[in-house]
Amino acid sequence: MQPIITINGLSKSYGDKQVLNNIHLEVYPGQVIGYIGPNGAGKSTTVKILTGVIQDYTGTVTVAGMDLRDNVLEIKKIIGYVPELAELYDLLTPREYLSFIGKLYHMPDNLIEERMTKMLDSFGLLPNIDQRMDSFSKGMRQKVLITSGLIHNPSIVILDEPLSGLDANAVILVKELLQRLKQEGKTIFYCSHMMDVVEKVSDHIILIDKGTIIANGTFSELRGSGTESLEQIFSKLTAADNLGEKADSFASAISNKNS
Amino acid sequence: MNKFLLFLVMLPKALWRSLGADIEQLKWILSVKLKMDDRKPLGFSRPQAQKKPSRYTSALTVVVTFFTGIVYIFPLFGFKDTILALFAFYSMMLVLLSFMLIMDFSSVLVDTRDKLIIFTKPVNDKTIFLSRMLHILIYFMRIVLPMSLPAWIVWGILKGWEGALWFPVPLILLVFICLFVVLGCYLLLLRLAKPEKFKDIIGYFQIAFSIIIFASYYLLPRATDNEMLQQMTATQYPWIRYVPSYWLAACWTWVEPSAAKLAGTQWLSIAAVLFPLAAMWVTIKMLAPSFIKRISAIDGVEVHVPNMKKVKKGGSKIYYWLANILNSTNASKAGFMLTWLQTARSRTFKMRVYPSFAYIFVYFFYILLSDNRPFAEVWESLPQSGTYLLLLYLSSFAIMNAINFVTISEQYKAAWVYYSSPVATPGHILGGAFKAMWVKYYLPFFTAIAIFVIYIWGFSVVLDILLAMVNVTMFALCILRVGYRHLPFSLAEQIKTSGAKTIFRVIFVFALIGGLGIAHHLIHFWWLKLLFLVLSSIFLWLVWDSYHNTDWKSIRMAEDAL
Repeated sequence: MQPIITINGLSKSYGDKQVLNNIHLEVYPGQVIGYIGPNGAGKSTTVKILTGVIQDYTGTVTVAGMDLRDNVLEIKKIIGYVPELAELYDLLTPREYLSFIGKLYHMPDNLIEERMTKMLDSFGLLPNIDQRMDSFSKGMRQKVLITSGLIHNPSIVILDEPLSGLDANAVILVKELLQRLKQEGKTIFYCSHMMDVVEKVSDHIILIDKGTIIANGTFSELRGSGTESLEQIFSKLTAADNLGEKADSFASAISNKNS
Repeated sequence: MNKFLLFLVMLPKALWRSLGADIEQLKWILSVKLKMDDRKPLGFSRPQAQKKPSRYTSALTVVVTFFTGIVYIFPLFGFKDTILALFAFYSMMLVLLSFMLIMDFSSVLVDTRDKLIIFTKPVNDKTIFLSRMLHILIYFMRIVLPMSLPAWIVWGILKGWEGALWFPVPLILLVFICLFVVLGCYLLLLRLAKPEKFKDIIGYFQIAFSIIIFASYYLLPRATDNEMLQQMTATQYPWIRYVPSYWLAACWTWVEPSAAKLAGTQWLSIAAVLFPLAAMWVTIKMLAPSFIKRISAIDGVEVHVPNMKKVKKGGSKIYYWLANILNSTNASKAGFMLTWLQTARSRTFKMRVYPSFAYIFVYFFYILLSDNRPFAEVWESLPQSGTYLLLLYLSSFAIMNAINFVTISEQYKAAWVYYSSPVATPGHILGGAFKAMWVKYYLPFFTAIAIFVIYIWGFSVVLDILLAMVNVTMFALCILRVGYRHLPFSLAEQIKTSGAKTIFRVIFVFALIGGLGIAHHLIHFWWLKLLFLVLSSIFLWLVWDSYHNTDWKSIRMAEDAL
């Protein structure tokens, strides 16, 4: 099987800071990739390159057999992206916003309407379809954002902290949704700090730190013969200091004993 | 109104398509942006208010813009040579409109806020660039139309129905020249500059350019003799044939071929049509590709490896020291420090406020030179004149501008912190912010002016300097107390009212402070000045006390009034 995403020698720097350093990666259709790493490791930069937002990088990125540099529009058509930080036009209503997004993908009105209604209904957001989103909670915005990333039925879905702000029921719903999307053969690129979720949903886990891939394999491959959780593996590979000591030091700063 | 303007800008569909835009996407992006401009973002304490945009404000804007436009009819009478009259009119408009584009609207072009929403969708560079350009054009038209209306009427009266029919054609060309030349320059700069530094470069470019335009606009016409203007013909200045506003004026030869005094003028009118087209072609075809790439790179802030040695205690910084000396409560200290730091780092703030310091000197010399005497003569007779009061009172412009923009921020949502902290009297934050603005922007600037005034007029005017300083401070506080009781950096900027708001603000502030200055000018006895100084100081104290004790209710009322 041909990989759907191939990244070769990908590097990116801002000024004198190297954010991505010679990344090599292959993702196959229908895989759920857990892309994890500490803050500032280069996860968001990789995602921004894959979605065509950052275009000045070195190395090659091929998506569905097309070079990203030469076919950025074609590639954007088959990617669905859910950014972190709930980036959307919150002065619009979900109906207005989703119609707008659908139109950017040249979808016909009736299809947008049909999908939007169904998807928002599943999230329990249909009664709010004509309300301005600036009064929405973080979870409600996140639901609209997930809908906007999937409304055009993309074959590659890139999710950046998709569960942020969602309540427990919505989290279960999205996790189930990921399984359905996988069954339909969609490739999912899942960036998160929630290790327990990544551990459960991903076929393949990539751990990136300081712009370099430091671990790449299935969860059982990463674990080897041990019984550690993904969180423990992550901490072992990326934390330079003893985190317990750090927590003690932090708490002692506001401790009543010191004041 | 929006629908009509959208319809207008989408009329040359075929042209936009031939330039590489996706028409359907273009239309949708524009309509969504216009819809959002019409909706006011919600503040923190009024999550339920979903008011309709006020029609009253829009109408007022149109009226104010119309009256501003009256200033521009004078060149139409000022010259005997028709083409030269038009040349002067178009030159003024060209300069003013470019100025507005640079100051108020160019931020729309390089906006990076929606990059994750639109840039990740299959929309090409040209569509995104054109959507931003047409978005600017729509707001631009809202100003250009009422502003050029007086001139249009006058031209109709002077030249009959042919004149009235002809008038809008070169005006549209003029708008396109401004738009494509200014935006083209930006794109060029975007290509040449290092992306991380782009916003800084643009900021300083805007400051420098606006000062140059402002100065040349006010001072150049003053440098020439009025009577000479009457007798002037284009043949005396053959170089003007290379200036775009002359090409626009040359279009009049379509109606009255004999109006052309300079050989080849008729041919130059073709340049007026071709130039905007060429500028558009170069801008969109050659400079707009890779627009997304460049814009995205702007946010890639240069990250430096942190240097542990540089981490100093906050206490050693000057602002920290000043905040502690000048403020009694912790809330005022916080307001002081936040304002001090934010204003030093916010590009938008610097871009809006810094040029006003230079404008004061431009205005000063503009008024000095207004009686058409040579500069050297004016300078020599300066100590005998009473114009120092003018300069002292003009200084209010700087603090008023700073005060006005200190409430606005792109990160206005971060204002939640005021509401969640245990601040009993938000007036203390306002007071701290005012002190920071006063100490940082007004005091050094006023001191510099005072030194200049004492150098020219001598120590006898010290009392005037003190009175002016107290009056201007009191005036600024009154304006704040009555009108702008908003917490620092808590309001979102809305493009909708940008251009006209600037004009309205300037007129209003100038009228009031002018009155105060004239009243000061009428006081001749030193003991009366001293008395007024005492009275003004008492009044200043009272206004300060009221402002400093602003409660939450007043803050909410100010928000609701938006």
